[in-house]
Amino acid sequence: MLHGLRQVCGGRTQAPAAPYHDVPWRNCAYNDVMKILKRRRRPGLPALLIASLPAVACAHGGVVAEDDLCVINIGYLQAHFKVYVPAASGHRDYCEDIPVRGETVFVMEYLHDGLSTAPIEFRIIRNTTGKGRFAQLADVEALPDLDALTVRYEAPAAAPDVFTLLHEFETDGDYIGIVTAGGAQPGRTHTAVFPFYVGARGFGVWPWILLALLLLQLNFGFWRRRFAKPAALLLVILLPFGTLDARAGELLAADTGRVSVEIVPSLDPLTINRLHFWDVTLRDRAGRPISAASLEIAGGMPAHDHGLATEPKAVELGDGRYRIDGLRFHMPGDWVLYLTIDDGTHRERVTIRFSL
Amino acid sequence: MLAAALAGITGYGWHRYAPPAPWSPAERAQIRALGIASLPPLPTDPSNAVADDPKAVAFGNHLFFDTRLSANGLIACAHCHQPERHFTDGLPRAVALGVSDRNTPSIVGTAYSPWYYWDGRKDSQWAQALEPLEAPNEHGTTRERVVDLLRNDADYRHRYAGLFGALPESPADTDRVFANVGKVLAAYERRLMPGATRFDAYVAHLDRDGEPAAQTHLSSREIRGLRLFIGAAACTQCHNGPLFTNNEFHNTGLLSPPGLLPDRGRADGVRDVLADPFNCAGPFSSDPARNCPELEFARRGSELIGATRTPSLRNLGNTAPFQSRGQFATLAEVLDHYNTAPGAMIGHNEAKPLDLASWELDDLEAFLRTLAAPVDADPLLLGPPAAVQKLSRVRR
Repeated sequence: MLHGLRQVCGGRTQAPAAPYHDVPWRNCAYNDVMKILKRRRRPGLPALLIASLPAVACAHGGVVAEDDLCVINIGYLQAHFKVYVPAASGHRDYCEDIPVRGETVFVMEYLHDGLSTAPIEFRIIRNTTGKGRFAQLADVEALPDLDALTVRYEAPAAAPDVFTLLHEFETDGDYIGIVTAGGAQPGRTHTAVFPFYVGARGFGVWPWILLALLLLQLNFGFWRRRFAKPAALLLVILLPFGTLDARAGELLAADTGRVSVEIVPSLDPLTINRLHFWDVTLRDRAGRPISAASLEIAGGMPAHDHGLATEPKAVELGDGRYRIDGLRFHMPGDWVLYLTIDDGTHRERVTIRFSL
Repeated sequence: MLAAALAGITGYGWHRYAPPAPWSPAERAQIRALGIASLPPLPTDPSNAVADDPKAVAFGNHLFFDTRLSANGLIACAHCHQPERHFTDGLPRAVALGVSDRNTPSIVGTAYSPWYYWDGRKDSQWAQALEPLEAPNEHGTTRERVVDLLRNDADYRHRYAGLFGALPESPADTDRVFANVGKVLAAYERRLMPGATRFDAYVAHLDRDGEPAAQTHLSSREIRGLRLFIGAAACTQCHNGPLFTNNEFHNTGLLSPPGLLPDRGRADGVRDVLADPFNCAGPFSSDPARNCPELEFARRGSELIGATRTPSLRNLGNTAPFQSRGQFATLAEVLDHYNTAPGAMIGHNEAKPLDLASWELDDLEAFLRTLAAPVDADPLLLGPPAAVQKLSRVRR
């Protein structure tokens, strides 16, 4: 069943590489090389945490985001930074200090494409700077024998898409992570230094107070979720399963004012999991076919935060007709397809929404 | 107190024994789409000229069980893909010459998939069959030694000649002969199809005789599970169609097991398959047109980080442990994972928490267990041919 067409004129033609760029960062004043920033969904408790514990004193910023986020800045190159100890704490991710010792996975998810191709060097040393968590790059450079302090070294290598590293810490204590990214020339590299502590630490009475607050908050969340559940369930039942036999004819046309679009899918009815093509006819306001336009195809399932299963391509058939080949919709549910049409003078984006 | 207890018992009884509500036409259509009767005929594989040649099937049956295709003479394909375990090995991660990083997937019904391996780094059954032979932690042999085996075994040499012409002598032809070995193995693997299950009997009766008659095949609990499967549990988002898979790649937020980094999944797989010399567009494809739409339109990008291929759910009761790295030993653990849908270590978890009650998860599991049936294949294909039994020094 199709939900009809909604048109978007002159909209943004490409999704941003990462949704995090728009957020105003607040940097830590005392460490200008490495900045770890953290944003939380619930402001109350973390604010208290931040105020009370030097461990996360660096970890604050705007409180508007939808997700927790910990960012490492390697020069101007940013990455989402997470640390896991899967065997001990499962899916829980840490930003700096790692309160449990064990097999540790460091993850950097690039927010900047440059990191996908840049060789990345990763080193962990014991922190003997005497400056604890306030150690900076200069302090590290002043250390006499870096190799003797090194507990883990990974030589520069490009890691496409995401950097991961597995390391098992043998002792609790203060460490410093040193990440270098950049090209072959020494002058073009960037370095981030992040001191962290491995192992449990006592904080006096504060953790107990915080724990009580945390429990209260969790409790609140728990009850809220419980009461919200029937409605949520109902939605899940109603939403994804309309019908699988969307009629091709219903996809027929869109009109942005400048461009009218007619679509005839090669599958009738439109079904999931089959590679197929759409024939698209483009006309201008006067009904004349638009030739020699370039078509970009993007889209996905907004409810699942994912894009298309394939990379479809458009070829011109002549007479304002184009074939978008290589489409496959791999899940039932609500889909959206963005068609960006560029005829050399105008650029239009048509949004096609449908349900499978 | 008494009233409450009574209400509780009544409620439980109602939940347990109440007749299932009738299906809506849309639900019926969904259920029909999952039934094995909806499975289309086996798609042709133009990249494999011998895919449907009975001589290749028989030859492949020999090779599949032949332990001489390994460095130590002990490992055959069937070492991990064991017929009695629905062509899996019952281990979290495959163990052959060494330990693999991933769980052994079943072969049954995979001829329908455009992609092979958990990360989809192969695009045909025959290209897939080649990699384990040379993987140091699997068979650990070389393509040269595989060709030598064909040359030195009179029966194999004869079988090869009957399919592809006389075995070439030149080392320049090694890759081509090696690829043909994959094609022969694929011809065998294509014959392994999922059998009709209790669920399929239910689907068949549903259309023919109506709901009450169909209910002789599934219990009310299993039917409740089915209702969740196509509804609130949103399983058919990915596990759809008669093989219960969309053959696509999804990140479901799995933890990495001890000693292993998080699985990079399809992000790497798509790079590998595009660069694979044995892919559909490569020089060893039997298709002169090199018509490879799957490769041509293959999606790349960071969204595929940590995404692994949706496995079929047919016979999953017989294919534990589960997930790409065997993270879960039981179905209950799998369902608990999807019920909470925790954040992914790398990439993002596409699944959303289901927040189902424990009894609902039990119902779901009961339904999933109805998807069991013996492999639908010529019984002769489910074990080593007599000649191979004699030749192999040690059987599994």
